[in-house]
Amino acid sequence: MTTKDFDIVIIGGGHAGVEAALAASRMGKTSAIVTMDAKKLALMSCNPAIGGIGKSHVVKEIDALGGIMGMAADAAGIQFRRLNLSRGPAVWSTRVQCDRRHYNDYIVEYVSRANKIEIIEDLAGEILTENGRVKGIRTESGEIILCEVIIVATGTFLGGLIHIGEKKIKAGRIGEKAAYKLSDSFRGLGFEISRLKTGTPPRLNGDSIDWDKCQIQPGDEPMPLFSHQTKRVAFEQTPCYLTYTTAKTKEIILENIKRSPIFSGQLNSTGPRYCPSIEDKFYRFVDKPRHQLFLEPEGNGTSEVYPNGFSTSLPEEVQVAAIKTVTGLEQVEITRPGYAVEYDYCPARQIKANLETHLIKGLFFAGQINGTSGYEEAAGQGLMAGINAVLQIEKEPPFILDRSEGYIGVMIDDLTTRSTTEPYRLFTSRAEYRLSMREDNARDRMADYAEKYNLLPKTVLNSFRELQNKTKQSISSFKKVRLTAEDLLNYSNELNNMNSMTLEHFLKQPRISIARAMPLLVSYNGEFRDRLEVLERAAIFIRYQGYIEKQQREIDKFKKLEHEAIPEDFIFQAITGLKREATEKFQRFRPDSLGQASRIEGITPGDVAVLSVHLKRHKATA
Amino acid sequence: MMTTTSQKSSINEDTIVAIITPPGEGGIAAIRLAGRQSLAFLSKHFRAIRKDESDFKPFLMRYGFFVDDNLQKIDEILAVFMPKERSYTGLEQIEIFSHGGSLVVKKIQEILLKSGARAAEPGEFTKLAFLSGRIDLSKAEAVAEIIEANTQKSYDVAREHLIGNYSEHIEKLRTELIEILAEVEASIDFPEEEIDPEETSQLVDRLNNLAQSIKELADSYTGGRIISEGFKVAIAGRPNAGKSSLFNLLLKQERALVTPTPGTTRDYLSEWIELGGQAVNITDTAGLRSGGGVIEKAGQSSAKKIMGQADLIIWMADLSQKKWAENLSEDLNENLNRNSIILGNKIDKVSVDKKTEELLSDYNVLPLSCLTGQGIDSFKRVLVNAIAESMPDLTSGLVVTSARHQQKLKSALAEIKQAKSKLAENQSPELTALDLRLAASELAEITGRIYNEDILGQIFSKFCIGK
Ligand SMILES: Cc1cc2nc3c(=O)[nH]c(=O)nc-3n(C[C@H](O)[C@H](O)[C@H](O)COP(=O)(O)OP(=O)(O)OC[C@H]3O[C@@H](n4cnc5c(N)ncnc54)[C@H](O)[C@@H]3O)c2cc1C
Ligand SMILES: Nc1nc2c(ncn2[C@@H]2O[C@H](COP(=O)(O)OP(=O)(O)OP(=O)(O)O)[C@@H](O)[C@H]2O)c(=O)[nH]1
Ligand SMILES: [Mg+2]
Repeated sequence: MTTKDFDIVIIGGGHAGVEAALAASRMGKTSAIVTMDAKKLALMSCNPAIGGIGKSHVVKEIDALGGIMGMAADAAGIQFRRLNLSRGPAVWSTRVQCDRRHYNDYIVEYVSRANKIEIIEDLAGEILTENGRVKGIRTESGEIILCEVIIVATGTFLGGLIHIGEKKIKAGRIGEKAAYKLSDSFRGLGFEISRLKTGTPPRLNGDSIDWDKCQIQPGDEPMPLFSHQTKRVAFEQTPCYLTYTTAKTKEIILENIKRSPIFSGQLNSTGPRYCPSIEDKFYRFVDKPRHQLFLEPEGNGTSEVYPNGFSTSLPEEVQVAAIKTVTGLEQVEITRPGYAVEYDYCPARQIKANLETHLIKGLFFAGQINGTSGYEEAAGQGLMAGINAVLQIEKEPPFILDRSEGYIGVMIDDLTTRSTTEPYRLFTSRAEYRLSMREDNARDRMADYAEKYNLLPKTVLNSFRELQNKTKQSISSFKKVRLTAEDLLNYSNELNNMNSMTLEHFLKQPRISIARAMPLLVSYNGEFRDRLEVLERAAIFIRYQGYIEKQQREIDKFKKLEHEAIPEDFIFQAITGLKREATEKFQRFRPDSLGQASRIEGITPGDVAVLSVHLKRHKATA
Repeated sequence: MMTTTSQKSSINEDTIVAIITPPGEGGIAAIRLAGRQSLAFLSKHFRAIRKDESDFKPFLMRYGFFVDDNLQKIDEILAVFMPKERSYTGLEQIEIFSHGGSLVVKKIQEILLKSGARAAEPGEFTKLAFLSGRIDLSKAEAVAEIIEANTQKSYDVAREHLIGNYSEHIEKLRTELIEILAEVEASIDFPEEEIDPEETSQLVDRLNNLAQSIKELADSYTGGRIISEGFKVAIAGRPNAGKSSLFNLLLKQERALVTPTPGTTRDYLSEWIELGGQAVNITDTAGLRSGGGVIEKAGQSSAKKIMGQADLIIWMADLSQKKWAENLSEDLNENLNRNSIILGNKIDKVSVDKKTEELLSDYNVLPLSCLTGQGIDSFKRVLVNAIAESMPDLTSGLVVTSARHQQKLKSALAEIKQAKSKLAENQSPELTALDLRLAASELAEITGRIYNEDILGQIFSKFCIGK
């Protein structure tokens, strides 16, 4: 009799793999992270920044579900900002520029202290299966590791191929290896594999930059943090800088554009439209004379700088010539060239909402392999895959967040119902129920799940419940407090013609900025003086209450279809009266619920109605 | 989406019945039964002319009498049975062909209803056809309209819908909405980009234009409804004016009771006739006057309701009454602020002097006599013209004929108005976006769904985005 070596094998110790292992550990299961380099756990391959618009919501959700990303970003943060502050609180987004080394060290240290996680430095080469279920893996060095469940989180390494001008290197990140055998194993198992690409800018020596020619962008005070568990941060805030390309930059790039592998035809895979290379920007938006670049420090103890906005795969000498035409970078030294990387991914219609593949039981995919891009997206999936792997071992129903519960839910739903044509990134506009899915209420949305699956220590949950209570108290006190005309004037002298009103009424006014009103809130709520979070949460609640009620009707409609589950043995081909294209779509995506079916691209409300009737019949006869 | 009740009926117990030929005169009328008990219900009331032809075989015509519960013959009929595997509705189905004439057909329907069949909801057969997979929804609505089309004009409009001009137009409106939404979304998702989202005032202008187009479409519903539901005419007036007499005259049939006693008509009566190529629904109502008993009052209040729903009111005055002109002036103030034709009946009983003539022209009264037929022809001409004038312009083919569509358009309009004022007041863009999204999904419920990807697609194609 063979005993399993581990409950779970996780291939790849990137952002997805690490969250998966930590979730499993908290839930009491053993896991092995099989990864190329044990020192590079959750390494930031590209820009050392966490969060930003849309992504920050996921970090908050990960944090509320006991994940590590938020804590690590806070701990390694060198600049903290809250983007979109002039818009409504639903789209406020935290962004933390990190010290790359420190972030990585923090995670390596944290994982080493976690229970039941073993790191195995090796390359996974083959998935072993038995009767349609995973059995274990074989590594490239020949070792066999048995397990119940496998989570694949291989990032940009599957069939990774780097391009710098005419040069090609087999690697997932510069200076590292690539995983080709594993790709073959997936093909052998019958998975459909496609290719995507992404890119990164060259890195610069900060000492050679003329900072005076650039515009400074300081961090925000008070410092917005990701994690409610963060007690202190390691570094002082460091500014970033803004600068622009020049007419000369444009000229050099367009002159040499044929030498970029994207334009020479050497590289055909699709890259992200929201993160185009500099040559792409000049080519596609030919009317635009210049583009902005953000100069971001790579860390505290290093002078290396990341020129955000200058991703490129042009030959190194062209990169050098072009970047020296950017304002402030005339004398700059490139420390490492930019490059594009092409890699294999498995179009995510091949996975279910719990991230398990349709094809093989016990095989889960998380992160870039599903066609996403970005640390946060990967981490969010890793966390969900870790939890769902454990639930499967325990024969419990899966944990699925729907589109009204969180950005993680939106992301996985998008992945499983739409064909990826470019690397997938989150935006707030992807979330139709945006007003009720905010950073400030991520914990309200996740706390019950965190409790149910034991993802957070009791003390942490208790203190959150207390915060919830205080928020409630605060909301009712806002209804009672009356502001005087003087208060209003103090807030802004534009309010000179307004009568005294309750704090609640005041906060509902669209032109009142909650951020600006904080001092006023503090002055009337002495007891919460040092719990600014409570006041802010209460104010946001009041601001959106009416709109959220309006949105709730949509959510109710949506939930009804979500709860109509489609059994796994349901045979879509047997539906009469469905257009052939619709039948094919349903077969390809194998939706888990009527709601999911309705969102599959190209499916019409009519197709859903037909499916719904047959589903009812199926259930009646089952 | 179909409602649950109709889904139930397809799988469930109900057997439904309806007359499927257009209302009004015709040689033959057809009645359809669909549901588990179709054959049972028919067999109970069918007596074959030849004894050896009393069993129903699939798609075989049977000839016999339709009889009521007392075995009284109602009409000679032909009937055909269709098993559920091969019927339009996907349910066991019977079609009965009887002699035309609304009375006989309605009698047959009534008897079947009494046996336990349920009256089909409008379009329910098509709904069933859709639910059983015989046809798909994108076409079902249009098919339903075509089936229900009882005039050439309504058929034309339904065909436009089926062919797609209409949905193309709505799709265009939706695309414009999504383009505007994309501008708003871009300002949220890419605040650090140097995109210069269209000036707010420009967006407000675009929303205004969009709102205008949607409003025009929504407004076309009144005409659209007339096309698909028929033109509604109410005959109203004081008791004993001769309303029922006119009703019978237009129907060419002694349909309503006529007596010299005022207050004869208690409840209203409705019938279909064809006038100038239009299906016209004529309703005879109870006479309006102050006072009267409980029953009469009830009749009067339903008369007022009918008048409210009518596309045209024929108001009838009784010229044989001395104070007819005074009464009329009172009535006009009280009851008639709508599209109407005023008739002066019983002209045969009065001698028309100069004063009467003046009064008639002052009040724009058309004199006639239901008794002698005097003035009836010119009244009919006036009526046909009035109907023709109320018909919508069909040259563009873009007419809303479904109440559901109109309601969606109106909701979309309301959301767009809110978005517009938020934009103008420079409120947070995520709130404007919410309104625009709701508006888009209202439109999408007419034609198809909205994907977030569409919005992003717009953003990426327009702006150079990304660090
Ligand atoms: C050049 C470049 C540019 C990028 N640019 C951007 C950008 O601009 N914006 C953005 O949002 N994101 C960008 N990314 C993407 C971002 O880095 C990834 O989305 C994110 O890291 C994915 O996380 P992951 O956990 O899926 O995989 P990764 O973080 O890539 O981790 C994968 C891990 O798996 C290991 N591994 C892989 N295969 C095997 C195997 N067979 N056996 C053992 N170990 C294996 C690797 O060693 C690695 O540790 C870029 C990535 C690269 C490489
Ligand atoms: N002389 C004459 N009598 C008419 C004429 N039209 C109707 N009558 C008579 O007027 C009486 C009332 O006619 P109805 O048609 O029942 O009148 P009504 O308006 O429907 O009456 P209510 O239903 O009671 O409100 C009957 O006795 C008719 O025969 C007409 O043109 N000339
Ligand atoms: Mg009458």
